[in-house]
Amino acid sequence: MSAPRRRRPGLGLSLLRLFAVQGAYDYERMQGIGVGVAEEALLRDLRVAGDGAAYRAAVARGAHFFNAHPYLCGLAVGAAARAEHDGVPPAQVERLRAALCGPLGSLGDRLVWAGWLPLTSALAMMGVALGLDLWAVLGFLVVYNVGHVALRWWALRAGWNHGTRVAAALHQPVLQRAAALSGPAMAGAVGLALPLAAQYLTAPFPEQSRRALAVVAAGGFLLLWWRRGTLTGLRFGLTLLALAALAAWLWR
Amino acid sequence: MSLELALLAWGTFVGLDLVTVPQVMIARPIVAGPLAGLILGDVWTGLAVGMLFELFQYDVLPVGAARYPEYGPATVAAVTAAHAAAGPLGIGLGAVVGLVTALAGGISIHVVRRLNARAMHAASDRLEAGDTRALMRLHAAGIGRDAARAALVTGLGLALARLARDIVAVPLTVRGATWLSVAAVGAALAAAAAGTLRVVGRGPSLRWFAAGLVGGAALAWLR
Repeated sequence: MSAPRRRRPGLGLSLLRLFAVQGAYDYERMQGIGVGVAEEALLRDLRVAGDGAAYRAAVARGAHFFNAHPYLCGLAVGAAARAEHDGVPPAQVERLRAALCGPLGSLGDRLVWAGWLPLTSALAMMGVALGLDLWAVLGFLVVYNVGHVALRWWALRAGWNHGTRVAAALHQPVLQRAAALSGPAMAGAVGLALPLAAQYLTAPFPEQSRRALAVVAAGGFLLLWWRRGTLTGLRFGLTLLALAALAAWLWR
Repeated sequence: MSLELALLAWGTFVGLDLVTVPQVMIARPIVAGPLAGLILGDVWTGLAVGMLFELFQYDVLPVGAARYPEYGPATVAAVTAAHAAAGPLGIGLGAVVGLVTALAGGISIHVVRRLNARAMHAASDRLEAGDTRALMRLHAAGIGRDAARAALVTGLGLALARLARDIVAVPLTVRGATWLSVAAVGAALAAAAAGTLRVVGRGPSLRWFAAGLVGGAALAWLR
């Protein structure tokens, strides 16, 4: 059951500030400063009500350590601000923020970084490979950001509406279903996109080079899989390019 | 000169988008590349290099405080190098410039985060007192620092692209350019497949990935 509704102060401004939630990201407070800036927009009522000390204390708490998925930070911002308005004890507000880091990070990583983003990017690559060119890129930006902005807005509103009972929002069936579906959808889309991307990129190559490329890609995949955790795609790419440049220089 | 300024501005926006603001994914190579190509009047190279680096991007999962290469401004520089090399095989030269720039970009993000921590320490008393002005100033300075970082990384990438055009591209034979391109595309495909498989794991999504690969291969063969 959610807490009784009250006037929502500055949700729009807070949402805008959330787009820069990682503006002052550091290895100690992580997103804390950005979260504090976004939350401040929701705390101004405390100052207007004449309680300057409560406002300053809440602003200070809002800027403490926080780390979660950037698109879902709004949930913690809204919930913590609502708790401050409801007069929840400071220690409980701190515990609420700390408790939200893990679940919001995990959900956001599954839903966005490992789901929605690679899914829509794979669709864009397929579109480019199939001849849609810049339309595929534009389609990616529009479709991806419809989901992105909707998630940010939902998170902030849900946080404000639920306050300290915000955990209930994370158990919404739609969210759970989306998280469950995004993995297989991403896997299928990336699987579809890879052969099409390979075909698109090798179109100008001579036939013999395409066979060499198949060997390089297969061997590279096995190497990267075998040495996962130590060898990255970037290091592998740089090494391979250095070898190719050396061979080209020696065999002119 | 105006073209280079436009590329520098675009690379800076792209670099800012990755972590700081607004994270609308113009930092993805599949967006950064084609727009750089559009600026240079060479959309095909932009799309091809964008797709190449998008494949490398699949190797990266930006969770928590993980360190990772920055492929956005790198793609802008890579498109510039590939365009200067003239011809479809310039993609290999673009990859050399782009991967080095991506490495530098990743290091620069780490440096900015350390600078942000130092600034935060300097203002910690005011932050603990709930000083809103100090909080806002710290936040704005962080964004400014990242914008300067993105501009520097893009500038470095564009300088490397010019160097590659003047020094590397001239003595490069067609065979050499082909080898570089084969190495670049092969590495990108390997990185994308291995990166995706790491995320997919051994669960039910693996079947979807396999089915997708078969479907994609069939579609490519039919075209």
